[in-house]
Amino acid sequence: MKILAWRLGILVAILAVWEAVAAPLNPLFYVRPSVLPGALLGMWRVPDLPPLGEHVWLTLQEIAGAYVLAVAAGLWLGFLLGLRRTVGRIYEPLLAALYAVPSVVWYPSLMLFFGLGSASKIAFGVALGFFPIVLSVLAGIRQVPATLVTVAQSMGARPFTVFRKVMLPAMASTMVGGLRAGLALSVVGVLVGEILGSRAGIGYVINYAYGLMMTREYAVLAVIAAAAVLAIDTAGALVEARVKRWAG
Amino acid sequence: MGRLGVLACQAASLAAVVLAWHVAVRTGLADPLFVPAPATVATALWTTAREALPRLGDTLLKTLAGYALAVGLGVAGGLVLGSRRLVHAVAMPYVVAAYGVPKILVLPWIALTLGLGTSTAVLTGTLFAVFPILLMVAAGVRDVDPTLVTAAVSMGATRGQVSRKVLLPAVLPSVLAGMRVGIVFAMLGVLLAEMFAGTRGMGFLMQRMAMAFKASELFAATLIVSILSIVVVLSLEHLNQRLSRWR
Repeated sequence: MKILAWRLGILVAILAVWEAVAAPLNPLFYVRPSVLPGALLGMWRVPDLPPLGEHVWLTLQEIAGAYVLAVAAGLWLGFLLGLRRTVGRIYEPLLAALYAVPSVVWYPSLMLFFGLGSASKIAFGVALGFFPIVLSVLAGIRQVPATLVTVAQSMGARPFTVFRKVMLPAMASTMVGGLRAGLALSVVGVLVGEILGSRAGIGYVINYAYGLMMTREYAVLAVIAAAAVLAIDTAGALVEARVKRWAG
Repeated sequence: MGRLGVLACQAASLAAVVLAWHVAVRTGLADPLFVPAPATVATALWTTAREALPRLGDTLLKTLAGYALAVGLGVAGGLVLGSRRLVHAVAMPYVVAAYGVPKILVLPWIALTLGLGTSTAVLTGTLFAVFPILLMVAAGVRDVDPTLVTAAVSMGATRGQVSRKVLLPAVLPSVLAGMRVGIVFAMLGVLLAEMFAGTRGMGFLMQRMAMAFKASELFAATLIVSILSIVVVLSLEHLNQRLSRWR
């Protein structure tokens, strides 16, 4: 209860300071929090902005596409490298080296190759979301107790049964953490792609508002996008908690 | 398979990728306008390096500034967040939320207020790097075994001795881990800021190359930045291992 009060107090204090600081400054650069609710209500019919509905829909489609591909590629490569030890020893260091590169350096090349349309955003979302998934599968496989697998096999369990009954429960919580991180990064990849160079999507509208110095609209859009991302991530956290409980 | 065998397989795989790439361009499977042949990229490497190195230096300086700021803030904040129970309980949801929000959404606002120059890039680098460091340090502090502290205190250690001899060595691995992750994030933030709202630096150069369809130069530039960051991260990792052996 006391903690909740503190949290609320801090939030109110931040908003109050922000309001006080921003009030005398140029509204072209500094947005006061008190104008945000009004701007939010007017958001759906700002004449200078492209209609929002279709852009949001496109972004969601890009995120879904990127995530599905990242999951497929990540699980495939993760199991390939994790289950075949020789292959893993050869390619895991290469993967780790690639992971050390700040991902945004890939984007200009992807943009050149795939163009300004959805494909480059999906490709970048895949490139970002793929890594945590692969790494979590690899870490998860390492957590499977080898003796349990041997025991199950010696008692005549078929490979699929071993996977389903022994491996999956042992690696589920690590893997699901990676799947959640991958979703967050796929979302980031699509948003970054859209903001850096695109002709459609919510990131495009954000960049458009920024370019026209429509700071109020930009701020509202950024807050909406941030809230949406946090909502997606919270949903991911709930799923993660459920899976962890199942895996025990 | 021995160490050498693994290395040989890695080299062979890289060579196979380059060969496949070469064949794909030669047979017209990949359009050289978008995917230049490996040989073209190799030639472009020299001309690009001359243009890129000063810009890369610029980017690295900004990265270092943003990184230093992030390490200072992140370690200090992480120590407070990890050691004070009330602060942790109150502030953690905010920190996690700030960590989870894509920083790219704030970037236009930073560019709007700080302009298209160095400070925007530095601040973006800090913003990207500070939260992972903060969270890792805080987690490290909370994981310190309380019996160690109790034992030291009961044997008559002073406050200063406890923090120097017990807490510091116990927290150091997570600080180093945070610093290792932080450098990549700082560089990512600086490059991103340069791509979005830069007039100088490597990110700006790469974005301009992409817009001008200079594919071979862009590939060469990407290669240079990638190799550089791999070298930086691997040497930090090496340093980390040396340090942990020293402990």
